[in-house]
Amino acid sequence: MIKVTIDDKRLEVEPGTTIMAAAEKAGIFIPRLCSHELLEPYGACRVCSVEIEQNGRTKVVTSCNYPIRSELTVRTNSERATKTRSMVLEMMLARWPKVKVVKDMAAHEGITQARFSHPLVDNNENACILCGRCVNICRNGVRQNVLSFEGRGSSRQVSMPYQQVPAECVGCGACEWICPTGAIKMIDDPNGSADWDRIRRAGMVVTRELILFDDDQCQMRRKGTSNLVDVMNDYDLLPVHNYRFGSHPDAKFVQSEVFASKFVTNGLPDGCALGCDMACAHAADDFELQTGPDKGKRVIVDGPEYETVGGSTNMGIFDPRWILEMNYYCDNYGIDTISFCTLMAFVMECYENGILDKEKTGGLELNFGAKDAAMEVLHQMARGEGFGLVAGQGIRRMKKKFAEEYGADPKFLQDIGMEAKGLEYSEYVTKESLAQQGGYGIALKGAQHDEAWLIFMDMVNKQIPSFEDKAEALHYFPMWRTWFGLNGLCKLPWNDIEPEDNAQEKEPHKVPKHTQAYCDFFAGVTGREVSADDLITMSERVYNFQRIFNLKMGFGTREHDAIPYRSVGPVTEEEYLSRQDRYDEQLKELEGDSVAGMSTAEKLQMLRKHREDRYAKLLDAVYLRRGWTSNGIPRIETAKKLGIDKVDGLVELLKEHGAH
Amino acid sequence: MPKLDLNNFKQEAQKFRSNLDAIPSSLMVCHCTTCLAAGAQKVHQALELELEKRNLQNKVRVKTTGVTAFCAMGPVVIAQPSGTFYGRTRPQDAPELIEHVAEGKELERLLFKDKDGKTIARQEDIPFVAKQKPVVLRNRSVLDPTDINDAIAHGAYEAIFNLLKKETDGEAIIDIIHRSGIRGRGGGGFPAGLKWKSARKAAKERLEPVFVVCNADEGDPGAYMDRSIVEADPHSLIEGMMIGALAVGATEGFVYIRREYPLALERLSNALDQARKKGLLGKSILGSDFSFDIKIHRGAGAFVCGESTALFASMEGKAGEPRAKYVHSVEFGFRDKPTVLNNVETWANIAQIINNGPEWFASMGTGDVSKSPWSGSSGTKVFSLVGNVEYTGLVEVPMGMTLRQIVFDVGGGVEGGRKLKAVQTGGPSGGCLPESKLDLHVDFDTLQEAGSMMGSGGLIVMDERTCMVDVAKYFVDFLMGESCGKCTPCREGLSCLHEILHRITEGKGKPDDLVLLEDLGAMLKDGALCGLGQTAANPVLSTLRYFRDEYDAHIEQGRCPAGVCKALIKYTIEPDKCTGCRLCVKPCPTDCISGEKDKPHTIDHGKCIQCGTCMDACPEDAIRVE
Ligand SMILES: Cc1cc2nc3c(=O)[nH]c(=O)nc-3n(C[C@H](O)[C@H](O)[C@H](O)COP(=O)(O)O)c2cc1C
Repeated sequence: MIKVTIDDKRLEVEPGTTIMAAAEKAGIFIPRLCSHELLEPYGACRVCSVEIEQNGRTKVVTSCNYPIRSELTVRTNSERATKTRSMVLEMMLARWPKVKVVKDMAAHEGITQARFSHPLVDNNENACILCGRCVNICRNGVRQNVLSFEGRGSSRQVSMPYQQVPAECVGCGACEWICPTGAIKMIDDPNGSADWDRIRRAGMVVTRELILFDDDQCQMRRKGTSNLVDVMNDYDLLPVHNYRFGSHPDAKFVQSEVFASKFVTNGLPDGCALGCDMACAHAADDFELQTGPDKGKRVIVDGPEYETVGGSTNMGIFDPRWILEMNYYCDNYGIDTISFCTLMAFVMECYENGILDKEKTGGLELNFGAKDAAMEVLHQMARGEGFGLVAGQGIRRMKKKFAEEYGADPKFLQDIGMEAKGLEYSEYVTKESLAQQGGYGIALKGAQHDEAWLIFMDMVNKQIPSFEDKAEALHYFPMWRTWFGLNGLCKLPWNDIEPEDNAQEKEPHKVPKHTQAYCDFFAGVTGREVSADDLITMSERVYNFQRIFNLKMGFGTREHDAIPYRSVGPVTEEEYLSRQDRYDEQLKELEGDSVAGMSTAEKLQMLRKHREDRYAKLLDAVYLRRGWTSNGIPRIETAKKLGIDKVDGLVELLKEHGAH
Repeated sequence: MPKLDLNNFKQEAQKFRSNLDAIPSSLMVCHCTTCLAAGAQKVHQALELELEKRNLQNKVRVKTTGVTAFCAMGPVVIAQPSGTFYGRTRPQDAPELIEHVAEGKELERLLFKDKDGKTIARQEDIPFVAKQKPVVLRNRSVLDPTDINDAIAHGAYEAIFNLLKKETDGEAIIDIIHRSGIRGRGGGGFPAGLKWKSARKAAKERLEPVFVVCNADEGDPGAYMDRSIVEADPHSLIEGMMIGALAVGATEGFVYIRREYPLALERLSNALDQARKKGLLGKSILGSDFSFDIKIHRGAGAFVCGESTALFASMEGKAGEPRAKYVHSVEFGFRDKPTVLNNVETWANIAQIINNGPEWFASMGTGDVSKSPWSGSSGTKVFSLVGNVEYTGLVEVPMGMTLRQIVFDVGGGVEGGRKLKAVQTGGPSGGCLPESKLDLHVDFDTLQEAGSMMGSGGLIVMDERTCMVDVAKYFVDFLMGESCGKCTPCREGLSCLHEILHRITEGKGKPDDLVLLEDLGAMLKDGALCGLGQTAANPVLSTLRYFRDEYDAHIEQGRCPAGVCKALIKYTIEPDKCTGCRLCVKPCPTDCISGEKDKPHTIDHGKCIQCGTCMDACPEDAIRVE
């Protein structure tokens, strides 16, 4: 802490605190124009000038951006300080005599009339006073760079490229919102929406929080989803060696800071969605490729996202350059990084278990961590050659082939082949979160976390302990997340940034303030007032319809919600032993002291039985909550309630499958 | 071209020197921007042609050089090793010149003649040159800036070679620089050693890369010190930056140079290419484990982009606008990384300091810098001496010379023997010092105390015909055009100063205007964001301080004592001097002069625009200004 004296008040502040913030703490008001809570200090208007004294030397500084680093005396009302401020304001008043904020600030300094006429006098009440707030919020807040200054010196003015509204301007209205004089007016092109202003205000809720809190929360703007690598590794949730383990000491080589500081050097968002001020998608620039058809080229790689990094650790690969290279080729070949990584992790485990060998892989040694060979498989997949032709089929078909042609144990393959409904798992270890196992297993399109991401709620924060709680979460969140899909929205701004007081809410995991913002957004677009519950009902209709569609295509029953045991608990003794304390503890709680004398194999068996049981109970509870039969089929009553029963042949289909 | 390394450097340098010595004389044709504009290229070709025709290539060599001491006399050719100076040469002089030089004789008719008509043969004996002390410009007239071998033969890269050979530690280098007392030549006068030390420390503490940057923006009107150094001796700049990089631990360097300097740009990129090919830049320099390279960043030519934070913004691809320096740019500079920014002239001194030792450097100049660089100004300074002075051009003198010595001993006094009124130093935001301050010793602190500044080395001599209000107006107008407009004091303040000064020079000044000027000046000094605005009122404040009576004359009597401000003057024809020759009638753009031939004429003051054309045209000195 550093001691400061401001006028006659003494106080202590953290190093780096600005004079303006310190003065506020001391209850002293310093005039200002360009400064704003949402903006980095700009230091342009100079209205907040004060005099400081340090080591016997005095000077005038702007209080908005002067960081206090050592003991300091500040005089906000010394002669030099007031002279500077009042002369600045007098000039502004001379130029913009009718602008309210200028008049107010000038009056605060005791000036009501300028002594001279300004050559550029502007009598408009809403004149732009060149404070730069709009430019700064557009550039650093919304990060669109639509607005800028043009012209030098006295011909400076706020403008857009070629003085035209560019495509990059999505009309978010942040500039209008932050302008102190009303110089900016949105010329709405509402594209048919009912209340554009309401939409903008809903947007500003999140914009404001992103600017203020993202650096302390998820750092989505700086790091993007890869911020999760560090967190997942810390919580034993980062997949390693085909989900056998949840962390690895080498994860430090691929943590988010490595990418953010070494590879994503241009600092620009990749423009995934125009006007998005979260702009979490980044791109590594000037990256030199080492393999494949573009070898030697310097390219931009869009990513890496969390899953791409997590998928690589899943293969036992901890090399950031390799990850970017894989990311680049997946993107350019049209291959999904998650599927590629998860299926390669499966291939590697098969290789290590002798199910595959060099002969079957066309000479490639595919142990965990075999990065060159893995990259080669990727190129082969794209070319439709060699082992790439096998791997490229995905885990479900590989399991069949390996059992039928290579004589592998189909049960073991089922346990370690991380897919559900034919889709490869995304990159989270779910062993300790029953709710998330359900999230993966019940998801309509296969094992992905897009419908429900409940790990923290369940495992870390223990907010949903009972089966009913979990079932409720597995009803609410998939419906809520479906709603984003229905409206063509991204869900990251919903909960990857949170209001400052979210923790005090009754249901913080639902981020109620943001849910309300989405209601406003919906009403602003459609003109229909909606409540948070209405949004869920909208999804339920679609969600159930999709489930029934699956049914029609031969998928939508309980049997298809089964998941590989690797996602539920330890498959091998090695896995069990790696977290022995945890599992022993759990068994002890369930079975008492009798577990003490058991062999690992026996314990493994007992744990498995218990966990598979739990999963079955979870399905029961979820189906019940959703209004489905115990076979996972929407009841006719449910279809009726949602008004989808009118669809031709739908009720018959349900009946056919035993629904009532 | 074999790469140089720590083992072969000395032998190779010796080889280049012997190659040079193999041909007894050289004709150095000055290829500076000025001489080229005057036709140096043609002279060069003519000399080469002549050489071939006479088959004298083994006796005389025709070479390019970057700058000579006296470019006002261009195209200049210097014969070496004698150092004979030939000014205003033409292609047709080539045969005679070659003939004379080959025979070891001087060509009398092209030699320099001083004011009294005395012939002076050697450049170094011309009074304008004799009083100078070239350190940075030591290679003028001897070095071919387009040939790295020539530079190495003249000692380039010896300093970095020795430092690498002896594996000198970065801190030891910084210590040498610190003890030399050298302060930044770009205007701020900040001690280079201290700056390097902070950058090295910040990089070490934060484990971040550090950059070295050369400021070659040179936006002051009329200044061309930096341009000339780059044109004449680019390797001195490169070597200085290498030493700086070695000292602070940088592997990347940048030169920020304006596009309006095409020749300097060409010389520099050519020099960088040659240095890379020689193994003097790039990975493992001279085979050591020191790696460093320099990129050129072309600026678009804005005065404010010479300011450090605006310069970095410009290099980052943003608009060239400054930011507050409460967080020092040496710690958070280019891309927010520790950055050493020094001026061209500062960098060009570095290798000399290493070669000759810090004591040698500290022995030149003022004060005793052995304890602290702040207690004096060591070394030399290059000035561009212009205005109403007999000899104009670049001069390099030891710090501490008086203004009087510079103007009179070096510059040959005021042009036409007129009276001196003021000397303006420090570029557009410097100040005007009156005759009574002429005995000030020119260094960073003295000039500052007197209300002006060293700046980057502009020195304008003004004679009695100069109106000081008009001068203030000129600089304020320049700065108003160059202000970026980000902060209120500079943007609005300069507009207001402009308005008031124009009003005064038009005879519409009010008694309160001087108070207003002073208030605005104080506000700019304390309130403006960057150095441009903070010093922008200097021309006004210094003229108010030393020439207040001229302001008063404008405001109270509606009179411009120097007869410059058009609205306040009247041209009349003295009837007893006018012969009616009518030479003034035709050039007058408004046809306001009339009269019968051979009889005195008169001016119609309703039509006269005070352009002064008649005055220039009159052979009888019959036109008067009131
Ligand atoms: C408006 C303004 C213009 C400047 N222009 C230049 C310039 O053209 N060249 C230069 O070297 N320094 C210029 N400077 C000074 C630089 O900010 C900086 O102090 C200098 O480059 C540091 O190098 P030095 O310590 O070697 O002088 C300028 C400063 C200001 C405020």
